[in-house]
Amino acid sequence: MKRVLLLVSFVAAPLLLVPLAEAQPAEAQPCYSLKHKGDPGTRACFQKLTRAANAAVQAEGFWGSGDFKAANDAFRAAVKQAEKDPAPRTRWGRMFLEHWQPADAAELFGEALGIQPDYAPALLGQALIAGENFEGKAIEYAEKALKADPKLFEAHELIARVALEDNNPKKSEEAARKALEISGEALDALAVLGAIDLLNDETDTPWMNRILQINPHYGDGFAMAGHFFTINRRYDEGIAMYRKAIELDPALNSARSELGVNLMRLGHDEEARKHLEQAYNSGYQDPQTVNTLRLLDSYKDYVTTKTPRTILRLHKKEANLIRPYFQYEFERALATYEKKYKYKLNQPVQVEVYPNHEDFAVRTMGMPGLGALGVTFGYVVAMDSPSGRPPGQWHWASTMWHELSHVYVIEMTKHRVPRWFTEGMAVYEETAASPDWGDRLDPPTIDAIKTKKLLPIADLDRGFIHPTYPQQVIVSYFQGGRICTFIAEKWGFDTLLAMIQDFGNKMTTVEAVEKELHVKPEEFDRQFLAWLEPQYKKTIDNFDDWRKRIRGMSDSAKKKNWDDIIKEGEAIRDFYPDYVETGSVYEFLAMAWREKGDKVKQASELERYSKVGGRDPSLLKQLANLQVEQGRKREAAATLERLNLIYLQDDAAHQKLGELHLELGNPNGAIREYQAVLAGKPIDVAGANYGLARAFVAAKRIPDAREAVVSALEAAPGFKPAQKLLLELSEKE
Amino acid sequence: MIKTLLCIAGLACCAYAETFYLTVAGLGGEQEYEQRFSGWAKELELILKNEPGSKLETLSGAQATRAGIQAKLADIAKQSKPADNFVLFMIGHGSFDENDYKFNVTGPDISATELAAALDKIPAQQLIVNMTSASGGATASIQKARRVVISATKAGTETNATVFARYFIEALRDPSADVDKNEAITALEAFRYAEAKTAKFFEDLKRLATEHALLEDTGKGDGVKLPSAENGQGLIAGRFALLHTGTSAAVAKDPAKLALLKRKEEIEAQIDDLKYRKAALSVQDYRGQLQKFLLELAKTQEALDK
Repeated sequence: MKRVLLLVSFVAAPLLLVPLAEAQPAEAQPCYSLKHKGDPGTRACFQKLTRAANAAVQAEGFWGSGDFKAANDAFRAAVKQAEKDPAPRTRWGRMFLEHWQPADAAELFGEALGIQPDYAPALLGQALIAGENFEGKAIEYAEKALKADPKLFEAHELIARVALEDNNPKKSEEAARKALEISGEALDALAVLGAIDLLNDETDTPWMNRILQINPHYGDGFAMAGHFFTINRRYDEGIAMYRKAIELDPALNSARSELGVNLMRLGHDEEARKHLEQAYNSGYQDPQTVNTLRLLDSYKDYVTTKTPRTILRLHKKEANLIRPYFQYEFERALATYEKKYKYKLNQPVQVEVYPNHEDFAVRTMGMPGLGALGVTFGYVVAMDSPSGRPPGQWHWASTMWHELSHVYVIEMTKHRVPRWFTEGMAVYEETAASPDWGDRLDPPTIDAIKTKKLLPIADLDRGFIHPTYPQQVIVSYFQGGRICTFIAEKWGFDTLLAMIQDFGNKMTTVEAVEKELHVKPEEFDRQFLAWLEPQYKKTIDNFDDWRKRIRGMSDSAKKKNWDDIIKEGEAIRDFYPDYVETGSVYEFLAMAWREKGDKVKQASELERYSKVGGRDPSLLKQLANLQVEQGRKREAAATLERLNLIYLQDDAAHQKLGELHLELGNPNGAIREYQAVLAGKPIDVAGANYGLARAFVAAKRIPDAREAVVSALEAAPGFKPAQKLLLELSEKE
Repeated sequence: MIKTLLCIAGLACCAYAETFYLTVAGLGGEQEYEQRFSGWAKELELILKNEPGSKLETLSGAQATRAGIQAKLADIAKQSKPADNFVLFMIGHGSFDENDYKFNVTGPDISATELAAALDKIPAQQLIVNMTSASGGATASIQKARRVVISATKAGTETNATVFARYFIEALRDPSADVDKNEAITALEAFRYAEAKTAKFFEDLKRLATEHALLEDTGKGDGVKLPSAENGQGLIAGRFALLHTGTSAAVAKDPAKLALLKRKEEIEAQIDDLKYRKAALSVQDYRGQLQKFLLELAKTQEALDK
């Protein structure tokens, strides 16, 4: 393996944890002791090590001096010198971990474990990587490391950190205290205990004071508290912690970078850039810092429109096309939530829409959970644009409503809401807005219900933060949404509002459940499952059969056995009605009816597909065409309006909808659609302007109509229908 | 000015000349492609069969052999005159071996060099729409004065099966492809339509585009993605009417309306001139003058249509 440092940094980011005596050469111990105390002689101590004869010691010296490149070379030599020793590999891995190269680190820890399978420092290394990635396996690895070395206090510290991320302060405190029993100066254990106090608004925490007595410059303690505040969406407090961290240690660039990222999350771009650039210029060039700076640079390509309640930031290349649709749903969602939640926001909400998914992804870096389509930071929402993904892959309006629900719930709870609840409310709101919105029941969730993998309500946050199996985050979204639906159905929506108040008053999930639902959490879980399981019983019972038979339908389609498809499709469609992805029963049936020449049944199948939540633009357009052919123009317009909430970059669909709105006497709808066609820079500029002109005529906006028809003729002077309209308009003058 | 001349030239060519169309659907290799290629060829036939003065031939499956193609081209060479038009549609797979392009057909493939030799014997003005994979590799061998060459790919190295054909055929069915609304879809309009739709196809799927269509009609140099006055490409393609959708050709035959046609040309020339001066005028001035010319043009057209 050729291990290369991705970036060369010249200033070392301080270690978070006291290194392990077992993996570390004894000669380096005095330097790490100095570092642990924040002694100004630390750097000189490490520089001295760089002159050592032993490559492993030299490597520690270079690493401690911030010369990663030289350290990398020295570690390579050290590994060569001691091929059967897991220690240099593990230390090398730790250096890679610090240098934002977890994949290289994982490989080295793996190699060390290949030499000695129970080598505790390498097991800990694996646990640290899992912890950074918010993987559920972090605790499992840490426990393995403890089994191999019960004195490994760093493993307890990691468990404490992961438990607190899971919103389990009790478990977290227990683990931190165990670390302190082994090492009374375990700084990160003290930091976790301090963070627990700070999260509980106990600002004068003795734990942080103890840290400062050991090391007056240990900014990492406050940086850790900043981390917990931000993952709990308490960004203002997180920012304050990061500020404190860099005040204690101005060279703590990891905290400075986090400060910049979180300032940007709240829309303070200028100050964010200042800190990020300072971190970057000091050599802290991790992917998050670099990508966030790049994203800030790209903002020159965005345009922002403001109203008293909304700030909409859109990319120039698509702003004219998507703005009317986004602005309308934005305002509609805010008005709905204000009424529903009985709450008035005290500042405008900012929605940022990214056509490049990678730009959006920068916004979610370092955050646990899915955040695949949208993310909310207080009053700032960032989301993918409909153009950021293949058409039909998602429903942008549903995502926007989801995120805007977070704005209310987070604000109303003063940022103290458990993740499961705010996600559950947001998922609930998607289908409350319209039953065909939101995500459908998917195979991983079917499996989770079937195999009893749903989490108890008291532990549900864990499913979002540290999933223990693939897709658990998605399953947890589903579960959260269904729990809120269950509460709304059984106890009423006002009970959900009461729970929001409770969380705002710092109650835990268990306390809120007991207070508002008058049941113990265990009893709630029992009642919830008794309500949930019958709803999906048919799908769960028949899922394996459905899966087998839909494969058969796919084979029949290849062989054009349309009668077989119809017979089989009608037999299994209702086994799993929620399946609307590619290759759904609806799609096969519509295809079969088309081939049989029965357009009524073809349309009827596609209508089912759309009603259940199908999002494929080509199928929806097919449906709209059939509806037009059958003289059902109103339904066709509704189908295309639905498509607009899924995908906006289809000028043919806008053109069609514009025509329909004109025919149906809805000139304003037609104006919006033809303007959308023009904003998409169509091939047929003349045709789109002519349509717009007709729409303006219908809306009795004659001067606008004249402008549009002149634009049509400017593109195609010989366009006869437009010439006729121009003459008609001139006669009206 | 150029646009007016093109328009009249287009009318003239189509009112009095014949157009020979030859569509060749090559080997698919797999059932799916066989069906797709022959389906596209049939669609073309359906679209073009009512085109006035058209002579259609289609070769697909076992008929689409090197000898079969050469024989058809020789036939057309005998029948056609310099005033006529000839269009060759090539659908299927192609390959390129750094020396020559080959169109995959039943039996031995036909090379670009062999095609060029056969095409050179046809006196008519020509449009070659090569919609195969690797088609860009054929352009250098085929290009010639008075011949428009459209390729689905920019080079012989773009070897994935193409989607360009789907959109080129769609252009002939979609009225919006007729961007100047002169009731004729030219080779240039169809190319622009298909090129844009192909690009959007890949963009929508978030996939790297594996084909980049080009047009070349000067007989020298490389093809271009965006033919324009600046790069000198598209002049012949812009007046090469592939399909007529209205009655403009019939009007051109009526001697009684020649004066009106002449007036129409003059106004169109004035509009072109105004557009040329757009940057130097205020928006209000430009729009005012434009509207005046457009009104006059509309009235002239109304009189022509009576």
